[in-house]
Amino acid sequence: MHPLRIALAQLAPRLGVLDDNLAAHRRGLAEARSGGAGLVVFPELGLTGYQLQDLAAEVAMRVDDPRLLSLAEETAGMSAVVSFVEEADDHRLFISAALLEDGEVRFVHRKLFLPTYGLFDERRFFAAGDRLRAVESRIGARLGLAVCEDFWHLAVPETLALDGAQILINVSSSPGRDLAAIHEVGLGTAASWRTLMRTYAQLTTSFVVFCNRVGMDETISFWGGSEVIAPTGEAVFTAPLFDEGLHFVDIELGDVRRERIGLPLLRDERPELHLRELRRIIAERTGMAIDAASEAPDGAERPARRGEPEQS
Amino acid sequence: MAGGSSSDPLGGREPAEPLFELPPELAIDTEVARRVTVGFVRNQLRQAGFSRGLLGLSGGIDSALVAFLVAEAIGPENLLCVLMPYRTSSSESVDHARLVVDQLGCPSDLVDISQIVDGYFGRDAEVGAGGTAAREASPLRRGNFMARARMCVLYDRSVTWGGLVVGTGNKTESLIGYSTLFGDSACAFNPIGDLYKSQVRQVAAAMRVPETIIRKAPSADLWPGQTDEAEAGFSYPELDRLLFWMIDKRRTDEELLAMGFAGTAIDRVKRLVAVSEFKRQVPPVAKLGPRTTGVDYLYPRRRPGSSR
Repeated sequence: MHPLRIALAQLAPRLGVLDDNLAAHRRGLAEARSGGAGLVVFPELGLTGYQLQDLAAEVAMRVDDPRLLSLAEETAGMSAVVSFVEEADDHRLFISAALLEDGEVRFVHRKLFLPTYGLFDERRFFAAGDRLRAVESRIGARLGLAVCEDFWHLAVPETLALDGAQILINVSSSPGRDLAAIHEVGLGTAASWRTLMRTYAQLTTSFVVFCNRVGMDETISFWGGSEVIAPTGEAVFTAPLFDEGLHFVDIELGDVRRERIGLPLLRDERPELHLRELRRIIAERTGMAIDAASEAPDGAERPARRGEPEQS
Repeated sequence: MAGGSSSDPLGGREPAEPLFELPPELAIDTEVARRVTVGFVRNQLRQAGFSRGLLGLSGGIDSALVAFLVAEAIGPENLLCVLMPYRTSSSESVDHARLVVDQLGCPSDLVDISQIVDGYFGRDAEVGAGGTAAREASPLRRGNFMARARMCVLYDRSVTWGGLVVGTGNKTESLIGYSTLFGDSACAFNPIGDLYKSQVRQVAAAMRVPETIIRKAPSADLWPGQTDEAEAGFSYPELDRLLFWMIDKRRTDEELLAMGFAGTAIDRVKRLVAVSEFKRQVPPVAKLGPRTTGVDYLYPRRRPGSSR
């Protein structure tokens, strides 16, 4: 038996008002603690709000910012995922999610994929992270952190699971849109996310924890609907849409083992195959390799590819 | 104009004539729409430091729905509905506006704009501020002037009422440019500007806007007998469907033709949309300085310190 109580802090951050949001996080931590939670998850940019534009630089914090450290100090004996604008030493700005544990900043994940299309303009204001690692947590499981759009790229949950993550945590500021009666709960965005999370949980045989904010920034409404999905792909808990709230969800970490014994998908993954083909694809996409399929005259010897023998 | 069937928005609940024709692809979850738009109104006012709103109530469905949404967001006592008829406006318009005011129990004002408009264009033998030539002004000029006179009244009343002007234009009229720049389109924010007319009707029905308002033919009521659909040459369900597939679903002309839309309709609507692009955007400013509003000075409208 290895039970874990997760608290999902489905907050409505105030745009650009760092102090108010820090206070809301403190309240969330305290409430989660008194409710017996071992892990509290706050949404993407919960400390700053989402639609920052040029405000991003004004609300940015370094990882050693006293405000972040003092928030971390309130995590003695527990774990929390919080998200903010991180300013690096070289003054690049990242959308980051930090794992705070036992009073310190244990790990920082920088958002890898910055949507810059449709209503999104993140690449204009932020730099993209370039590291994807699972992290060992005090709760006795490895965690895989991801931020919103990171989960719209298959390699992210796959890599995190291969790196040993048993709980994939996605923190989001997902704007509700594509209003149509044909969608589950009336929103195209919600329907897509629910499909993704169930699929990832099942394929990685991991828990998926999704914390999405609510409230509005400017014209955008964030839809909430935070969830915890079991390694079987079944939803353990779904928070209401649009309402602010702190929700407790009890999971049994032993379910990961059970599912992975019964459905050993991760055992059967072929990362070396994937890597080999990825190397080829990358070379071809960047014009670095001679295309094996290109027309060589009949009988002419085809040049071997760089770095590895051809298989026959 | 187009192929495909339309569904009964009442779902056969009532044997009587359906309230309106609803193309199935435009069906929305009205509870989600209500939730988002009501939250939007509340949020926009709060962020700006206001607790009150006001709007021009025409007697038509768009402003009626917005009045319902605002009343739900901030309470009817915080909404001022301003009725602004011109002397040739249909008396039905004022009657229908009063239905809304009575049902919501919100305060209202009646401002007859005839003197303002006649003061410019003149009336009968009298010459107005616009000179003798203005007496021959076309209905279009007069209509635009009325829309802007109403805007002036609303923005003046926004000071005495201490509230923000809430916009009432829908997505259909915005896309085809069926609005008066700095007239009926002028507002602090607009909760229904991303809903097609067919979707406005669904939300209005769900919120119990009086049926007679939902059923009547939409009209700008700028001159007697005017209706939107006669003027545009399209019915709203047809127009909404075409705009939806053309813009929201990015269908090419060939694909639209294959779907059964008429080539003439596609061409005409595309032209209307392109010609009215300027009405949907903030006026351009020549780029000169190192940081220019809307170009490389990009802040949220509302941020710390921006409210009253």
